[in-house]
Amino acid sequence: MDIAYYPGCSLHSMAHEYDVSTRLVCQHLGIRLHEVPDWNCCGATAAHSLDHQLAVGLSGRNLLLVNDMKLKQVTTPCAGCFNRLKTAGSELKIDSRSDEIEKLLGTSLASAREVEVAHILQVMIEEIGLEAIGQQVAKSLNGIKLASYYGCLITRPKAIARFDDPEQPVSLDHILQVLGAQTVNWSHKAECCGGGFTASQTDIVVDLGGQVLEAARQAGAEAIVVACPMCQANLDTRQTEIEDVNGIKYHMPIIYFTQLMGLAFGYSATKVGLNRLLTSPFNLLKSRGLAV
Amino acid sequence: MTADIYRPMRLNDISSSLPEEIKTACNTDVNLCMECGKCSGGCSNAHIFDYTPRKIVQLVKLGAEDTLLKMDALWICVACQLCVDRCPSGINIPRILDYMREKAYRQGVKAGRSNVELFHNLMLESIRNTGRVAETPLLVKYIFRTRQYLKDTNLGRKLFFKGKLNPFSPRVKNINQVRRLFINTPVNKEG
Repeated sequence: MDIAYYPGCSLHSMAHEYDVSTRLVCQHLGIRLHEVPDWNCCGATAAHSLDHQLAVGLSGRNLLLVNDMKLKQVTTPCAGCFNRLKTAGSELKIDSRSDEIEKLLGTSLASAREVEVAHILQVMIEEIGLEAIGQQVAKSLNGIKLASYYGCLITRPKAIARFDDPEQPVSLDHILQVLGAQTVNWSHKAECCGGGFTASQTDIVVDLGGQVLEAARQAGAEAIVVACPMCQANLDTRQTEIEDVNGIKYHMPIIYFTQLMGLAFGYSATKVGLNRLLTSPFNLLKSRGLAV
Repeated sequence: MTADIYRPMRLNDISSSLPEEIKTACNTDVNLCMECGKCSGGCSNAHIFDYTPRKIVQLVKLGAEDTLLKMDALWICVACQLCVDRCPSGINIPRILDYMREKAYRQGVKAGRSNVELFHNLMLESIRNTGRVAETPLLVKYIFRTRQYLKDTNLGRKLFFKGKLNPFSPRVKNINQVRRLFINTPVNKEG
């Protein structure tokens, strides 16, 4: 299976381990990822916050590049990029301003509208399937108790994402269960971590991220599993400040789901970049015989 | 902050054309609002907003453009999209906020949270310069511009030792095509 791959800026930088583990797991499952040549930033929160046309244009250019690859589908591991690419695809269909964007880009956007966008979690569920994933498990996750955290943009808004349930999603839980983990029932699966405010409004991330960490702790989770580089960064890099504010030591590793897939498929913890997380998951993994 | 939520709305600049303007630009109809409050009930940040999402929709209906452009909530909505999915009338509040924020930005209205505007601006500058966002240079620039030199020194050290601080960013080859997208934006003029 050949799919265009849009890593996004975070995966080329702070979330390098998400990129590495995604590529590894896809290769293992027979998905050939082709990185979109010369892709640009999706514009993230900044573009849609200040300039609608710019936001649609930036993501529109990426969709055009996918179409040039003669591929019909593009996948991204970042929930933010997923939302921006998909929103652009839908805006280009109805937005009268697409004419202006076409003028700026110097090319027609007609073909960009046809590109399908899927989050990598969606590819795992809809293209590979739980059964095929289960067949690859070489090392069970041994009943480790995990909180699957989807955040906002993988499933919302429903009309754009068209994947799973917007507030009570289950796809990530199913994958983790197939890998041999237990998933906890908890309240904050699809609540916000504070999004792009980690630098400019740190208080908001400490507040919202703190609620997520506390909810996971109360549900008895030993780690939180994410499918978005921003969720990971917020819950991991701000955890010390959250601990100071909430007065509780969480020691809650924030792990990408592709890292756990790789681990269960038999790759080592360092191969999937688990050593790059700030809150170390190694004590937890060692206690279950999943790392040495 | 809590007390502020209950202050009377300021209707400085009443223009009844705002709902129509929003309908055209944002493809969303505020007149369908039945004031049920599901948007505010689910909102992550309503407790720190000066106007809750339900009130924001009412402000649009009233044409209180001046209040909308100056309100604090404009800059601290996390765009989690919960209200979009919960609204029984399909009103897209984050899109309305994007539209009003863009308007405030273009008119040079002073942002209630200037750090948020600055961060967005620096990020867009980075995209205009290289086509992508290099996280480390962006954060360093932000720290210098806000003079918060000591705020994240511990975190910076931890990230450095994890190899997470990458000072380089590959440049998009067809950068001119990306830059053309910035022609109509105020970001273009500041750089």
